[in-house]
Amino acid sequence: MTEGVPGSAAGALSVPGTRSRRRALWGLLLGVALAFAILFSPIIGSVAFDPWLVLRIVFSGGGALFAPCTAGTVSCHIAKVIVWQERVPEVLLAVIAGAALGISGGTLQGIFRNPLADPYLLGISTGGTLGASLVFVYGIGETDANLVLPLFAFLGCTATGGVILLAARGRYGSVETLLLTGVALNALLSSILTIVLLYNPIASLQVDFWLLGGLGSATWQVDGVAFGVILAVGAILAIHGRELNLMQLGNDVAQSAGVDVRRVRERLLLLTALATGTAVAFTGIIGFVGLAAPHVVRRLSSSNYRTVLPGAAIAGAALLLCARDVALWWLPLTPLPIGIFTSAGGAPFFLYLLYRRRRATTMGGL
Amino acid sequence: MSLNGGPGTPTRPQAKPARTIPVALFVIALIVVAGAAVAVTSVLYTPKPASTPGDLTVTDDLGRTVQVPRDPARVVVLGPSIVDSMYRLGLRSHIVGVDCYAAAFGGLTADYSSDQIALWNLSQSMCVQTEPTFDFEAMINETPALVLATTIVSVSAVEMISSTYNIPVVMLQPATLGGIEVDVSLLGTIFGLDSNATAINQQLQVELGEATTVATNLTNSGATFPTVLVTYSTDSNGYWTFGPGTFGESLIELADATNIASNSTLPYPELPGEVVLVDNPTFVIYGLGFGLNLASYQSAPFWSELNATQNGHLYGMDSNYLTEPDPTMILEGLPELIALFHPGVTL
Repeated sequence: MTEGVPGSAAGALSVPGTRSRRRALWGLLLGVALAFAILFSPIIGSVAFDPWLVLRIVFSGGGALFAPCTAGTVSCHIAKVIVWQERVPEVLLAVIAGAALGISGGTLQGIFRNPLADPYLLGISTGGTLGASLVFVYGIGETDANLVLPLFAFLGCTATGGVILLAARGRYGSVETLLLTGVALNALLSSILTIVLLYNPIASLQVDFWLLGGLGSATWQVDGVAFGVILAVGAILAIHGRELNLMQLGNDVAQSAGVDVRRVRERLLLLTALATGTAVAFTGIIGFVGLAAPHVVRRLSSSNYRTVLPGAAIAGAALLLCARDVALWWLPLTPLPIGIFTSAGGAPFFLYLLYRRRRATTMGGL
Repeated sequence: MSLNGGPGTPTRPQAKPARTIPVALFVIALIVVAGAAVAVTSVLYTPKPASTPGDLTVTDDLGRTVQVPRDPARVVVLGPSIVDSMYRLGLRSHIVGVDCYAAAFGGLTADYSSDQIALWNLSQSMCVQTEPTFDFEAMINETPALVLATTIVSVSAVEMISSTYNIPVVMLQPATLGGIEVDVSLLGTIFGLDSNATAINQQLQVELGEATTVATNLTNSGATFPTVLVTYSTDSNGYWTFGPGTFGESLIELADATNIASNSTLPYPELPGEVVLVDNPTFVIYGLGFGLNLASYQSAPFWSELNATQNGHLYGMDSNYLTEPDPTMILEGLPELIALFHPGVTL
């Protein structure tokens, strides 16, 4: 379970200058592409508006800075409401949640030294689903569903993360123990979830939809909360690139280089649980972004965790935003849940990774 | 070092199959018990002959030809819309069992509203479980001479009831509003209540005729038909509603209004919030019952921005009026909608 990450960290730490510049260029291009995607994504939606009108609404801050269209007309008001109150918050939530999943995936792949690790590996998402299902089953806070549902999902995620963290603090808190604890916890929570939903078919249906993931809960308030959490958590995660690089060389090497492996691992696990919990709370379960984003960065840029972590955040944001745009562009009137697109794109990528690993192993190592 | 013996190692004697006899006895015992169970079951339940003199031959809504007894005294009804027709025909006393979910899934209340349960005097003891699995024993226990079912019953269950248990099954699932009258007539024929059926159908014709008159008058006066969203569930993405070909849409059109989901490619689409806001319906009808109330809908996208919300044109309606093709849909649901959409009109 603890095989090396493609492109060893040791190699990644001594990159020749030209390659380094080229990789920095890739990072810059990815960032610019994401900025353009953020700007133009609000054009895509269930209702077709004049693209220039949408851009004017975006640049005018929803009409706060200047009038993007003839004030007082019904069509102008509706366009502003749709673009500024729904589409822009949705786009931003895609970026924030994608970044959270991407950087969490990168961190967990580093902690477990396993390229197949992702934010849902340890059952954190199942904890979130269980929390959300309680809201549906018991009709908790029906009138404040937009607040209560994410809160319960977040509590479910972080509670699960807390249990895993306790396992990590114990005497047997090795990477293998952590993984197996996560797998066992996932199975336990899944069985509880099944029992809870078995006798509540309507709630079961609601949970099924929630599980498919979506950006429908996006509002400026939601974005504000999510952005605050992810910015703080992501910034702390991103500065742990050096420690993760050293941990790829083995715990003993990292320890001798001054890294308190156990404490770093605990801290990073807690932070990834917070980041994942925040993303899950507002978007439901969106698979494969956390798995794929770090690999995209490794393929395009570097295996150095100083690059992988921020890069995975950008790549994750871009992936989720693309999934949102494709979902709306393909079937604007009956858009499919965004989780279907990330899974549809992610599953082949996952198989590609497995195939590539097998071929590399056959050829004499990664 | 090898754990296996080398070439010179003495071999362990082969164990004899000492368990053969007990296993064989166990298998024989199983066969005997299974055979006895089959024999006892056949004694306890003897299928009735396929048909008896005096039976009627009817064609149901699925085009099946079925031999049914005349005026059967004990009938199991699997579908609220059929119970409604039976009740209006004065046949409530013939109903010995109705469809329901397993107790853990809500029992009767999963398919019947509390109003229906009270009006039709349904009790849990009449429950014939159809979901999540069909309880054939519960149905046979009611010793019905006839089963009337909607398509909530699977084809395999219908086959089982009619072929294995030899109980005739008539499927009553109208495809259009006109089909409601056909089904009422069919029930009248089976139970020898043709005059009652004709009376109900005349009432239906009157209601439908008045709706047409209202439409003509509105058209002649140049009035525009209001736009309507009928929703039976919402989530953060949009509004679940009735599309083309559904009874919900037929009812809206009969009530002289325009369904904003009429262009959908799906019969039961979820309209995205922004589509609903752009169409901005004059009225929003939301389904009530089965745990749903106004609060269930208020967190839907753009709810507060809709004209209907701002003008107070929100209206809760029993979900059964919108989904079940029965006389109540036309006799009570339709006038309610016409009165709502066209308040100046009296029927």
